[in-house]
Amino acid sequence: MDTCKALLQATKMTQPPDPSTISGTRPAHGNRPSSDAGALEPLHGRMLHVSRLATIGEMAAGVAHELNQPLTAIANYAQACDRLLAKPDADLGDVRQALREIAAQAVRAGEIIRRLRALARANPIERTSTDINAVVTEILELLQPDARLNEALLAVELGDDLPQVNVDRVQIQHVIVNLARNGFEAMNSSGSKLRELKIRTAQTVEGDIELCVCDSGPGLAPEVLERMFDPFFSTKPDGTGLGLPISNTIARAHGGSLGYRPNRPRGACFYIRLPCEPHA
Amino acid sequence: MNALEAKEHPPIVYVVDDDEAVRNSLRFLLRSVGLATQTWASAGEFLASYRPNQPGCLVLDVRMPSMSGLELQQQLNLRGAIIPVIFITGHGDIPMAVEAMQHGAFDFLQKPFRDQDLIDRIQRALAKDAKSRAALKELARIRSRLESLTPREREVMQLMTRGKPNKVMAADLGVSQRTVEIHRARVMEKSGATSLAQLVRMVMDLNLESPAQTDVNPVKAP
Repeated sequence: MDTCKALLQATKMTQPPDPSTISGTRPAHGNRPSSDAGALEPLHGRMLHVSRLATIGEMAAGVAHELNQPLTAIANYAQACDRLLAKPDADLGDVRQALREIAAQAVRAGEIIRRLRALARANPIERTSTDINAVVTEILELLQPDARLNEALLAVELGDDLPQVNVDRVQIQHVIVNLARNGFEAMNSSGSKLRELKIRTAQTVEGDIELCVCDSGPGLAPEVLERMFDPFFSTKPDGTGLGLPISNTIARAHGGSLGYRPNRPRGACFYIRLPCEPHA
Repeated sequence: MNALEAKEHPPIVYVVDDDEAVRNSLRFLLRSVGLATQTWASAGEFLASYRPNQPGCLVLDVRMPSMSGLELQQQLNLRGAIIPVIFITGHGDIPMAVEAMQHGAFDFLQKPFRDQDLIDRIQRALAKDAKSRAALKELARIRSRLESLTPREREVMQLMTRGKPNKVMAADLGVSQRTVEIHRARVMEKSGATSLAQLVRMVMDLNLESPAQTDVNPVKAP
């Protein structure tokens, strides 16, 4: 963990934070940050993997819950078929319909596992030209169980005709999961009545792609705001304190930034900004 | 009488679960064993259309967005609903299940479950619902009978149930013993009680139930 800390401190932002809007800085010089990431890649990659596994561990409860839904449906349909077929005048149309549902639910369960495995893979960083909305859509199925577990609504607002970004989709999804989980936990621990987590994508006036994760929780206290990118600083009793620093590192490795602003009317809004690819 | 009423309002199994596949599969399963089933995707939608005088039971998912199963249970409790609630929970929801039971849930089951376990519980819940509805109806009947007593007859009834002899009652009320006897006969006639013991029982039942009097109105005989 010491190496993680050293690495994170080395890449930590150096500017004093603006108390209301805080953001990890972009590298000041013209070097594409991918070259930074390249030098640090073995360590960086391992650390990301550790953090990702920690996140996955935390998500296991939600995933188990989510897998239970298709399994329950499969069990119900199969047992109903058994009962139907025991009748002499069984309606085979009903049975066939139930069998189709069983197949669909088995595929659904497999898909949940496939997505979890994709997130858990220790892939080398692989940046490709990507539609940010597809990155979001792909991860929704993994976030849904968390939403359910925290009794929150998960809403998505995707911008139209956004330019492509050159990113490692698993890393960006890791950031989204980190931010979303923070949001769910904030809403849960504050006992918010209206619990809504919104993921939005849009293009900023500067032309960057902005992906924000907004919750309707209590928002961030100023003292937390100042320290939110400090490795191992956490407001959660069992938090690793690595979620935001790693998300920040990932954003910077992509030549982007991670920032915070209060959400309206209430809550926290974390955003990751990524440079978009020049039009071909 | 009960058989006739059951014919008029066959019980409905309400299923509230936000997962469409679980919901549809439950409806399919319950219909395959001949249970009338209605499904709802959210606690709010169910609550908006819930009619308390419809016999039935509720199969409720604990975890749902906007209004959880526990919150729905509390809303129903606040409205004095008597519908039995069977919670279905995923893994790790045991503390919530315990809380649900403390708030009067009929039972709970972990997903996925054996169909027979669910069907048995539903049958028991429906039997309990029918029993509570019959008891409420009986109370309503007793109340409406006792409500037809005049104030003086009511006084006489109270003294009777305390075991006062006619002579003492006559003195207490400042009337003749003959008058007390007439009131006494009226009380027995209007209440439908065949003995003093039965009358005492009626009054006790009503007193026991009086804090929740408003609950009975929706099931008053048509």
